[in-house]
Amino acid sequence: MSYLLTLIIFTPLFSAIILGLIQAQTRLLRAGAIVSSLITLCLTLLVLYHFDPAGGMQMVTFLPWIESSGMHYYVGVDALSLVILLLITILMPPLYLYMFKERRKGYWYNMMLLQTGVTGAVLSLDLVLFYLFWETMLLPIFIMIGKYGNGMRQYNAMKIVLMTILGSMTMLFSILYIGYVYFETYGHWSFALSDLTTLQFNAETSIWLSAGFLFAFVIKIPLVGFHTWMAPAYGSAPTPAVVILSAIMAKLGIYGIWRFGYGLFENTLTYYAPTIILLALIGLLYYAIRAITEENLRKMFAYSSGSHLSLIALGLFLENQYAWSGSLYFIATHALASAGIFFMIGLTYKHFKTVHISELGGIAQQAPLFTFFFAFFALSIAGLPGTGGFVAELLIIIGAFKYSIYVGVFSALSVLSAMIYIFWMLQRTLFGAPNEECPSYQDLNKRELLIVVPLVILLLITGLAPSLFTPLFEPYVQETLQLITTAVGVHP
Amino acid sequence: MLSIIVILPFISALFLGILYLSNPTKKRYKLYTLIGSGVPTVIAFISFGLFFKLFNGAPSLHEDLFNWIAIGDFEIPVAFTLDRLSSIMLVFISGIGALIHIYATGYMRDEEGYGKFFSYFNFFMGAMFLLILANNPIMMFIGWELVGLASYLLIGFYHQDHDNITAANKAFILNRVGDFGFIMGIALLFISLEGTAFTFDAIALNIHNIDLQTLTWIGILLFIGAMGKSAQIPLYVWLPDAMAGPTPVSALIHAATMVTAGVYMVARYSFLYVEIPQVGLFIAYIGAFSALFAAIIATYQSDIKKILAYSTMSQLGYMFIAVGLGAYSSGVFHVFTHAFFKALLFMGAGAVIIALHHEQNIFKMGGLKKQLPLVYVTMFVATLAISGIAPFAGFFSKDAILASAFASEHYLIWGIGSFTAFLTAFYMFRLLFTVFIAPASSENKLHSLPKSMTWPLVVLAIGSATAGFLGRNEAYGGENWMGHFLALPDMVIHLSHKSEYLLGGLNMLLGLSGMFLAYKMFAIKSEAPQERHFFNRLVINKFYVDTLYTRIFVQPLLLLSHLIANVIDPKLFDGIITTLSQGYLLVGRQFSRLQSGKVRLYAIQILVGISLMSYYMLFKLGVLG
Repeated sequence: MSYLLTLIIFTPLFSAIILGLIQAQTRLLRAGAIVSSLITLCLTLLVLYHFDPAGGMQMVTFLPWIESSGMHYYVGVDALSLVILLLITILMPPLYLYMFKERRKGYWYNMMLLQTGVTGAVLSLDLVLFYLFWETMLLPIFIMIGKYGNGMRQYNAMKIVLMTILGSMTMLFSILYIGYVYFETYGHWSFALSDLTTLQFNAETSIWLSAGFLFAFVIKIPLVGFHTWMAPAYGSAPTPAVVILSAIMAKLGIYGIWRFGYGLFENTLTYYAPTIILLALIGLLYYAIRAITEENLRKMFAYSSGSHLSLIALGLFLENQYAWSGSLYFIATHALASAGIFFMIGLTYKHFKTVHISELGGIAQQAPLFTFFFAFFALSIAGLPGTGGFVAELLIIIGAFKYSIYVGVFSALSVLSAMIYIFWMLQRTLFGAPNEECPSYQDLNKRELLIVVPLVILLLITGLAPSLFTPLFEPYVQETLQLITTAVGVHP
Repeated sequence: MLSIIVILPFISALFLGILYLSNPTKKRYKLYTLIGSGVPTVIAFISFGLFFKLFNGAPSLHEDLFNWIAIGDFEIPVAFTLDRLSSIMLVFISGIGALIHIYATGYMRDEEGYGKFFSYFNFFMGAMFLLILANNPIMMFIGWELVGLASYLLIGFYHQDHDNITAANKAFILNRVGDFGFIMGIALLFISLEGTAFTFDAIALNIHNIDLQTLTWIGILLFIGAMGKSAQIPLYVWLPDAMAGPTPVSALIHAATMVTAGVYMVARYSFLYVEIPQVGLFIAYIGAFSALFAAIIATYQSDIKKILAYSTMSQLGYMFIAVGLGAYSSGVFHVFTHAFFKALLFMGAGAVIIALHHEQNIFKMGGLKKQLPLVYVTMFVATLAISGIAPFAGFFSKDAILASAFASEHYLIWGIGSFTAFLTAFYMFRLLFTVFIAPASSENKLHSLPKSMTWPLVVLAIGSATAGFLGRNEAYGGENWMGHFLALPDMVIHLSHKSEYLLGGLNMLLGLSGMFLAYKMFAIKSEAPQERHFFNRLVINKFYVDTLYTRIFVQPLLLLSHLIANVIDPKLFDGIITTLSQGYLLVGRQFSRLQSGKVRLYAIQILVGISLMSYYMLFKLGVLG
């Protein structure tokens, strides 16, 4: 079964290469991209079918890559990566469907490369391999924003790339140093995560090394203070890139902390926890308040995304079962909801040629279907019961109360924070009298419905019956927490 | 059966919604009516059947549907319980709900979004049933939030007008402020009892394991949720604005059912609140002041629906007095009777509004007694009931509440309650006389009313006249059937029959004098209130609370948002980053000077470099020994 993961990672890339070599026409390119996304989806479902929730890391492939330096092609999947893998493969077909009429070929190639990048990053268990994919996914984003974006697209593309790479540099340094420590200890090189976890660092080294990783990940999330690339990038990026940025790449920051941070430095992260919890709480409110007066819908939901990712980060550092389950669940449900809302914003742009709230209004009167889906995704971002976001928020709040009452009180503010900007935004975009300057609106067509309906259904199922999904990751959460608590207990 | 009651309205809402969205402009009056009002009617009959089972002494019904979530000790089933408390709620909500659905088929007949309306309306019913039948706090909370959503959608039903959406937003956001407290209460309760099952029954058994301080906090936090949902001070400001929705919505959601959810919640948690009487007293005072405050404002309002909205808030205040003082069954009894007469008042008001082509100002009405005799008579009954005139429903339930306040020696609460009773009679008869008796200011050509809008009034009028008998206590020849049936941990009242008669008599007297005063002032000639003096102006402007809230909450928040957007983000955070990159550039420029291309400069650089290296090797490394 182990070749499955490799296929999932490289199918999009190879499709792109082949399509490029034969210089495919747009129609063939489109068909190729869609087929490759469907293949990866099917393969991922096959992985899901064979997945054993209690089995830890599975379907592992461990092949030599640059053996003299201890670098391996080392991939595997556990519950954490499976959740994100599922999200990627579920979101790709709707994305391509959204791009259906796109004639610029670069769009398609970039998206295929992007899929390989994010999938590889999620499945890699070798640090150097992970770094490679981590950087790979940045390249298509750079091109998507810089070439196909709008507004100050080149400046904004440069900004996101430079800030992210700044983080990557510190991470690379940490990776290399850890490899060196391994070499010092055992006499040969290795960058495999399973080898490196056996290392014990002294407190000071560990603080610096983990800071190197954390820096890269908090920029990607981004936590407050590291976020100034976010709104410009979201504002300039074309919709498919925004969807990936918000639904997948931001979550990879969380994933990185979870996999590598807690894998390598569980003691030190517990030491960092209060600081990050504070930062996350500030971010939760800071972004939400910032979003209230934002005029640009894309930027508004960029801040919204920041606010919710702060909540996810908060849940992660609370280090208890409820919060962890909540965070992992939120990764999935927020990805679905934010993908949905960014699709709707993209459609808004297609029809009205604007995403500025003041230039919209009264859509409800002309387009009931559009209104329904727009409002549905917006409300599911606000954590409405019946959608998955509510379950996740509830779990994180309970986890926060378990951690400390004060953190609990502040995290409960999340039920309020999103509401204010979302409801005011809905009022100004959807309701009221139709904006005179807007062209009349054709309601969603069948293809557009096909993009959003699956997301709605998934959000409803995750909200109505979370018990269908939780057994998938419960053993993982429990086991990992067990490891951390014993580790922290042994080495205080 | 219970799961059918909860799920069926959701399914019909979904069906109606899809049907509507598939072709919004198509008229499907019959189909929408059949499903939209048929489903609640069927459920009403099922509910009656279940209620009579319990009435005849059957034990509580439980139904486990599936496991909602199970993470560690957090195991929440989707399960329903029909005990005596929820059966009383169920029977009147489904019954009155069905009547209002039928009424709405007439009221909404010509509206464009007829199908959408019934989709929302059925959705509300499902959420409300979930709220009352839930057997654990989480499911109840989900219902609690979903009724809020339904309320939002229905208040903003006429979405072309920005004011309506503002009202809807206000309702939802203030409710969520309450829910912020509510969810903290639930989370704290769960954490305090971690390891035991999280259903109401199990919590009641284990409640003694929580220390008193935590319990106090839980009690307060849960009640904050009730403040929002049941429109009590300080979270009440949404309710009057919520009247922007169609009148059937006001009748169903903002009078009879959803707004009483807070009272139901306190009664549901009565096992918790009996442990913390000081919180109960706080609740009672909030209730008393809300009752008085709303009644004062109501005496100066001109919009027929807003008068009724303030009246609802005021009556809810009575209910909180009751549950706060520990007279839980009296509180629930008042919820029960209030549902009849308040729904009737709203539906009557709706009939008047339709007849007068959407006129809502009572001072532009008048003399409708002859033209709308049925509406007049039924509304008269309801007004008598709400004013606490025996033997109509309101008398018995209000009397029971005031008697508990008196008997437990909370004379301030009792005094406020009694005075509010006088005000209630005054403003209600002011409305009645102005609309029906006082001479009309202009000749009205009336819109005809369909049958579906009139006969539900009759049913409710009968209810308003007789519902009180279910809770007559011994002094009035009953046996307080309601109290015995509910079997809640009520406080025990020791009052002689004589004092009961005295108290009841006083209430009657206050009610009648309010009625008399209103007759004197408004029956012959009625005038809209004018801003004459300070107090007058204060009341007409609703004590400027809305303005105050805007100043202290909304504006600072917007200001903060602007501050972040214009100062903190660009100047501080981005400032640091730009400074860093500028510095980097600057350093780069300095270095570039070294590469000037001038040979002489390079020679000097080489010289300096070699000298420094030689120095280092000679003296630091000691190359020459």
